[in-house]
Amino acid sequence: MEDLSMDRTLKALSLLLSYPTVELQQAMPEIGGVLAAEPRLTAAARRALRPLVEDLGQGDVYDLEERYVLLFDRTRSLSLNLFEHVHGESRDRGGAMVDLLETYRAGGFEPATSELPDHLPVLLEFLATRPQAEAREMLQDAAHILSAVGERLVTRESPYAAVFAALVQLSGAQADDAAVAEILAQPETDPNDLEAIDKIWEETEVTFGPDPNAGCPQVRDMLAQMDRPNPRPAEPAAQ
Amino acid sequence: MSHLLDRLNFLQSKELEQFANGHGQVTRENRDWEDTYRNRWRHDKVVRSTHGVNCTGSCSWKIYVKSGIVTWETQQTDYPRTRPDLPNHEPRGCARGASYSWYLYSANRIKNPLVRGRLLKMWREMRKTKAPVAAWSAIQNDPILRAEYTRTRGKGGFVRASWDEATEIAAAANAYTAKTYGPDRVFGFSPIPAMSMVSYAAGSRYLSLLGGTCMSFYDWYCDLPPASPQTWGEQTDVPESADWYNAGFLLIWGSNVPQTRTPDAHFYTEARYRGTKSAVISPDYSEASKFGDIWLNPKQGTDSALAMAMGHVILREFHLDRQAAYFEDYARRYSDMPMLVALDEKDGHHIPGKLLRASDLAEGLGETNNPDWKTVAVGEKDGEMIVPNGSVGFRWGEEGKWNLEERAGETEAKLRLSQILDEHHDDVVGVDFPYFGGAATANFVKCEHPEVLTRNVPVKRVTLADGREAMVATVFDLLCANYGLDRGLGGEWVSADYGDDLPYTPAWAEKITGVSADKIIAVAREFATNAEKTQGKSMVILGAGLNHWYHMDMNYRGIINLLVMCGCVGQSGGGWSHYVGQEKLRPQTGWLPLAFALDWNRPPRHMNSTSAFYAHTDQWRYETLGAGEILSPTAPEGDWDVSLIDYNIRAERMGWLPSAPQLKTNPLEVAKAAKAAGMEPKDYVAQKLKSGELQMSCEDPDAPENWMRNLYVWRSNLLGSSGKGHEYFLRHLLGTDSGVLGKDLGEEGGAKPVEAVWHDEAPEGKLDLLVCIDFRMSTTAVYADVVLPTASWYEKNDLNTSDMHPFIHPLQAAVDPAYESKSDWEIFKAIAKKFQEVAPEVLGVETDIVQVPILHDTAGELAQPDVRDWKKGECDLIPGKTAPNYVAVERDYTALYDRFVALGPLLDKLGNGGKGIGWDTRHEVEELRKLNGVWQDGPAEGCAKILSDIDATEVILMLAPETNGEVAVKAWEALEKPTGREHKHLAEGQEHTKIRFRDVAAQPRKIISSPTWSGIESEEVCYNAGYTNVHELIPWRTLTGRQQLYQDHLWMRAFGEGFVQYRPPVDLKTVTQEVLDGDEKHVVLNFITPHQKWGIHSTYSDNLLMLTLNRGGPVVWLSETDAQAAGIEDNDWVEAYNVNGALTARAVVSQRMKEGTVFMYHAQEKIVNTPGSEKTGLRGGIHNSVTRATLKPTHMIGGYAQQSYGFNYYGTVGSNRDEFVIVRKMKKIDWLDQPAKQEAAE
Repeated sequence: MEDLSMDRTLKALSLLLSYPTVELQQAMPEIGGVLAAEPRLTAAARRALRPLVEDLGQGDVYDLEERYVLLFDRTRSLSLNLFEHVHGESRDRGGAMVDLLETYRAGGFEPATSELPDHLPVLLEFLATRPQAEAREMLQDAAHILSAVGERLVTRESPYAAVFAALVQLSGAQADDAAVAEILAQPETDPNDLEAIDKIWEETEVTFGPDPNAGCPQVRDMLAQMDRPNPRPAEPAAQ
Repeated sequence: MSHLLDRLNFLQSKELEQFANGHGQVTRENRDWEDTYRNRWRHDKVVRSTHGVNCTGSCSWKIYVKSGIVTWETQQTDYPRTRPDLPNHEPRGCARGASYSWYLYSANRIKNPLVRGRLLKMWREMRKTKAPVAAWSAIQNDPILRAEYTRTRGKGGFVRASWDEATEIAAAANAYTAKTYGPDRVFGFSPIPAMSMVSYAAGSRYLSLLGGTCMSFYDWYCDLPPASPQTWGEQTDVPESADWYNAGFLLIWGSNVPQTRTPDAHFYTEARYRGTKSAVISPDYSEASKFGDIWLNPKQGTDSALAMAMGHVILREFHLDRQAAYFEDYARRYSDMPMLVALDEKDGHHIPGKLLRASDLAEGLGETNNPDWKTVAVGEKDGEMIVPNGSVGFRWGEEGKWNLEERAGETEAKLRLSQILDEHHDDVVGVDFPYFGGAATANFVKCEHPEVLTRNVPVKRVTLADGREAMVATVFDLLCANYGLDRGLGGEWVSADYGDDLPYTPAWAEKITGVSADKIIAVAREFATNAEKTQGKSMVILGAGLNHWYHMDMNYRGIINLLVMCGCVGQSGGGWSHYVGQEKLRPQTGWLPLAFALDWNRPPRHMNSTSAFYAHTDQWRYETLGAGEILSPTAPEGDWDVSLIDYNIRAERMGWLPSAPQLKTNPLEVAKAAKAAGMEPKDYVAQKLKSGELQMSCEDPDAPENWMRNLYVWRSNLLGSSGKGHEYFLRHLLGTDSGVLGKDLGEEGGAKPVEAVWHDEAPEGKLDLLVCIDFRMSTTAVYADVVLPTASWYEKNDLNTSDMHPFIHPLQAAVDPAYESKSDWEIFKAIAKKFQEVAPEVLGVETDIVQVPILHDTAGELAQPDVRDWKKGECDLIPGKTAPNYVAVERDYTALYDRFVALGPLLDKLGNGGKGIGWDTRHEVEELRKLNGVWQDGPAEGCAKILSDIDATEVILMLAPETNGEVAVKAWEALEKPTGREHKHLAEGQEHTKIRFRDVAAQPRKIISSPTWSGIESEEVCYNAGYTNVHELIPWRTLTGRQQLYQDHLWMRAFGEGFVQYRPPVDLKTVTQEVLDGDEKHVVLNFITPHQKWGIHSTYSDNLLMLTLNRGGPVVWLSETDAQAAGIEDNDWVEAYNVNGALTARAVVSQRMKEGTVFMYHAQEKIVNTPGSEKTGLRGGIHNSVTRATLKPTHMIGGYAQQSYGFNYYGTVGSNRDEFVIVRKMKKIDWLDQPAKQEAAE
C-alpha cells in the first residue's frame, strides 16, 4: 500500500490530469468525494471542478480520450510537460529535467513511468507524498505556468481549467502576473486545425530607429553628444 | 618577546602559498560558485550517434547524457585523418543537426500508439465477439463503418492505444488483405536506407516475409537521374566531397552546395584556396553563386540548351579543329563514340537507328554467344568490321572478354572514331535529327527552326547478314552532326561560326537561355582546357535544379557529354557529382538479404512508386500531357498516340516495369489453381494471361480488387513532403477532403486511355489502413489511422553511410526511447509477432506467385533486342523474356516472426552477391552463428539469431564486402571471371579487416573497396565514380560496355532522345481559364521547389529554432518585378493555385529571384502556421498541392541491357518543375480555428 499520509487532494488532481481510462472512470466517485471535501479549496473552486468530475465519470470514454489527446498530447501550448512552457526547445530543458529527477530521488522515489519528470501528473503525485509546506512551495514555483495553462483552457471553455485554478489556489500564491503574461505571450496553437496561430507571424518589422533615414540610433546619440559644448570639469564634492 | 605586534588578530592572508615561481597561488577563497559552471556542463556519458534524416550529410555527433536524459549534442571530430595535402573531413554537421536534442522532448513528439478513435471503438466492439481477422473483415465489409473512419482522416480524433492493440489491428488488416486480395496489396513506403539501414530493413523484412510490396523512393523523389543508368548502367555513383578539392575546374550547376550540403561545403572553399576555378550556373542568385569566379544565370529549365552550346564549343575546339590527344584516346576507349549505328530509312530520309550488332553481319562476325547484344566498330588499322570486347553480350554466357582492353578477343583492336576522311567513308548522306525548340510554350523562347534538321554525315555501306545493304555511321560522326558542327561536308543546319543563330551554337543558346554567348564560350573553353592539361580534373556538381524537370535526361546528358568529351569521368578530381537523394548505402550487398528477407525467400516484391502512385491516387485520370506532344517528328512508324498510363501498362506487361498489385486474382489463389491444374506456376499464368482468364491489375487500377489496401509509411513524411499530387492522394487514396480544383478526363471529355479501364465514378478512399510510424506528428501522421511512436535518432542502434564521405558510423541509443516509443526494429518485430499470432485464423503455409520484371545485372537483361507486345500478338508470351517472370515462393505465415528474427538458410544454399556477381558466403553465416548465437529449436532451428538491432547491424557488416575484407576479396575474385583480369589486389591488403558495430561506435571507419561500386578506397586517390572502369578496365554495365552517349532503344528514338537534345519544359496546362479568378490582379509563375536552409525536407521545419531563423511558416519567394505586377509586397499573404489545388504562404520579395519563377522551399509542413485557402476553403496545402506526377515513356523501357528494371535504379520519376501557378495576394486570412463542429455533430 501507498503511504497513508499521502495528500489525497493532490493525488486526486494528478488523476484528473491523467489519460482517461475505464479504470479512472470507475474511480471518479471516490475522487470527486475527496475533492468535494477539501477545505483548502474555496467552495467556488470545488464547484468548478464538478463538471470535469462528472464528465470523466459519465462521458463516453472514447470522446474523453480524443479530447485528452487533442488538448494535452497534440496542443503544444497546453502541454502537461511543464518545462515546455519555460524552456521550450532550448538546451536548458535537459538540465532542468535532470534537476527535477534528482529532487524525486532525494525524496526517496524513482520514477516508474514512461512520462518525463516534468509531466504535471507525475509532479503532483510526488508532491502528494511531501509535507504540505514543501508541496505548496513547489506549486508556487510553478504557479505562473499553471495559471497560464489554466487561462488558455478557460478560453477554450474546457472543464480542465478548474484543475489548474485549484492548483493555483493550493499553492497559496498569486502567480506573478508578469511571468504569466510572458507565457501567454507565446503563440497559441490549435492542432484541431493543424495549426499554430497568427501571433507567431506578427513579427516586428525591421526598422532602423524611429526615422529610417536617421541612421543608427546609437551613432545618432553619439553625434548629438559631440554637438554639445564641452562640459565643464565637475565641481569638487561638497565638503 | 611578544608577537602581538607582528601577528594579525582580525585578518588572515587570503593567500596560503605560492607555486610556479609566484605565478600561481593557493588561496582560501570559497570556490563553490564554480560548481554551478561545472554542473552546467556535467554529464554521465557521451554517446556517438547521428541524425537519420534524409540528408547525405551523415555527420557523426557526440550526444551528452545526464541522468538518462539527453542534454545537448556537439560535432564529433575524430574522423580518420585524410592523407597529407588534403583537408580533413571534419567538422561535419550543421545548425539543423545541432538543434536536434529538442525533438526528443518536444511537445510534438508522439508519446503513445494512437488510433483513430472511431476505428478503435468499432474495433473493440467487434473484438468482443470476433477473432482479430474476422473483426477487421466485419469493419471492411460494412461500407458505413469503413467510411466513418476513412472520411475523417486528417481531422483529428486520435485516442491512445496499447502496443498490443495497435499492432493487432495492423496485423489483422494485413492478414485479412493477404487472404482476401493478396499479400501484394500490403504496401510499404520508406526512403533512403543509408541513413538508418536497420530501421529501413525492419519494415522491408516484415513486408518481404509477408509478400507485401516495398515501394521505391529515389525515382519517386525525382532524385534518380535516369541519364545515369542510360549512360553508365549504374544507378548513381559519384565522388566523395573531398574529391572536389582535387578538381582544377568546378562547375556548380543547379546545385546549392553551401545551403544544402553544409558539412561538405568546406571542401569547395578549400579547393578555391588551392587555385581551383569555379563557375556557378543558377537562375537565381543562390548562396553558391557568390562562390563562383563566374556566375551564369540561364532561364530556368533551359539548361540543356546551355550544355549543348558548351558541347558545340568543346567538340569544335578540342575534337574537330584540333584533336586533343588525351580526349581522343579517352573517347575511343571509354565511350561508345567509335561504335557503328545503322541508319534507318523513312520516306526517303535517313534517321539514326539501332547500334549495329554482330548478328546483323554475315555469320555474326564469328560470334556465337549473344551476337545480337554485341556492338560493332571499325578497326583503325585496316578498316575491318570488328566486335570489340566489353559489350553486354560478353558479360553473360562466356568468360574473359567482358573488359575494356583494346582488343577483340585475341586480337588487338584500336577502334576508328570517325569516318570523316575521304578514304574512310563511302558516302555522305543527310541524316534527320529532331529539333524541339519550337515546342516551347509562351513562357519560354520559341525558335523558328523546323522540327526536323537534316545534316550531312559520312557513312560506310555494309552488306548485312540477310543480304541487304545498310549505311552505318559512327556515334562520334552522328554526335557532331547532332551538335550542328560544320565539318566541311556541306549541307544545312551546321555551323562553323559561334555567332550563327543555328541550333546549338552559343548565339542560339544566348537567345534561349539569356546567358551571353561569350560567357558560354569562355566557360566551355576553360572547362575543357583544364581537363586537357590535368587529364580530366574538371568536375560538375549538379543537382535537383536540373533533375526535377520533366526532360531532366536532356539536362543531365548534355552535361555528361561534356565530361565524356573531356575525359573527366573516372578521373580523380573530375566527373559528375550528382548529390540529390542518393545517399550511398555502402554495405549494400550485406544489407540486401536482411532488408528483403533474401535469406528466407527470393525474389522480393518491389514496385516503382511513381507508376504506383500515378495509378492508385488516380492522377492518371487527370492527365493533360499527350504522348503526341513529346513524340519525335522522326519517330518510326508505330502506335504512339496513346495515354501515358497506356505506355506504363504496356511496359508492365512486357516485363519492363514491376507491377503492384500484380494480378487481379489473389496470387495465393493463383498458386492453388496452378497446382490443381498440375502446371508449373509460370506456365499456368502465361496460359491464363493469354486466354484472358487472368488479368494484370495495372489494366484496371480503379477496380476494388486492384486497390492498394494497406500502407505502412515509416521514416518518411510521404504526405507532407514527397507526395506529388498531394490533393489527389487525399481524394482518391485516402477518401477525405481534398483541394483538387480541376476535373478528370471523363468530366472534361478528354481522350481516354486505351489500355486502362475507365470507370465514370472514380473511387475515393481506396486504402483500408494507413499506418504511420514516426516520432513527431507529421502531416502523414495526421492523416494516418494508426500512428506508432518510434525511437528517435538518439534512442536506437543503427548504421549510417553516405556518398559524401567514405566512412561508416552508427546511430546509438544514448537513452532509452522516450515515452512509449520503440525502435523501428522493435516495432516491426512486434507487428511480426502479432501477425504470427493472428494469421492462423485464415492463413497457413501458402504458395505465393511473385511477378518479377526483367532485371538489370542479370542474364535476363538480354531479353528484348526488339520491342514486341505479346498482347498484340507480336510475339508469344514467354515469362521472363517477353513478359514478366512468375516465380513461386513458399511463405510460412505461422512462422513469420520466427523467420524475422533468424538468418534463414538461403544464404548458405544460394550464396550472396549483387550487381551481377555472386559468391559463396557460408563462412560469414557460420561466423554470425557464433557472434549472434543460434536458435536451438523452433522453425528457425540452427539459424543465427537477429534479435536486437545490434544483431541486425552485425549481419550487414559481416556479409558486406565493404566492411568485411574477406568478402571483398571473394567479390573481386568473382568479378575476375567475366572480365578475365586481375582485380583482387584492390582489397587483398585488407583481407583481415572486419568491421563490427563496436568498432564504428568507437570511431567512424573507412570502408573497403568493393566491386559493388565503381570507385576505390585508397591512400592515393579520393573515392570517385567510374575509377575502376577507367583504371581496371571493367566495362560499364551498358549495352556497349562503354559510356553510352547514343541510346538506341526504339522508344528512345521514337521520343527523339537517341542523342541529347534541347527540350523546353512541357505544357502541363494547369493554369486554365476556369481556375483563374476573373480579373483579379495576379501573376502566373513557374513553380520551383528547391531544398531549404531551415530544415532537411520537412524534418526540422516544425522546429521553433529553425522557424525563427526563417519567417516562421510557409513562404514563397518571388522577384520584385513579378511582385509588383501582382500588387504583392514583402510578407503579404499570398495564395498559389492551379487545377491541382492551392497553397497559402507569405511572400518573400527578393532581388535574388529571377523573373518568371516562384520558389517554395519544399516540404514546409502544413501543420505549422498555414491559414485556409480562399480557393479551396481548406487548410492552405503544401508545396505538392499544386503538383501532379507526369510519367515519361522513355523511363519505362526495360528488358534492354542497362535499360532494364532495378529497384530505385530505373523507372518513371516524379518530376514537378514544369508546373505553373497563379499567384495572387489573399484578401482574407482565415485561420480556420473553429473546431470542426458540424463534423463532430454528424
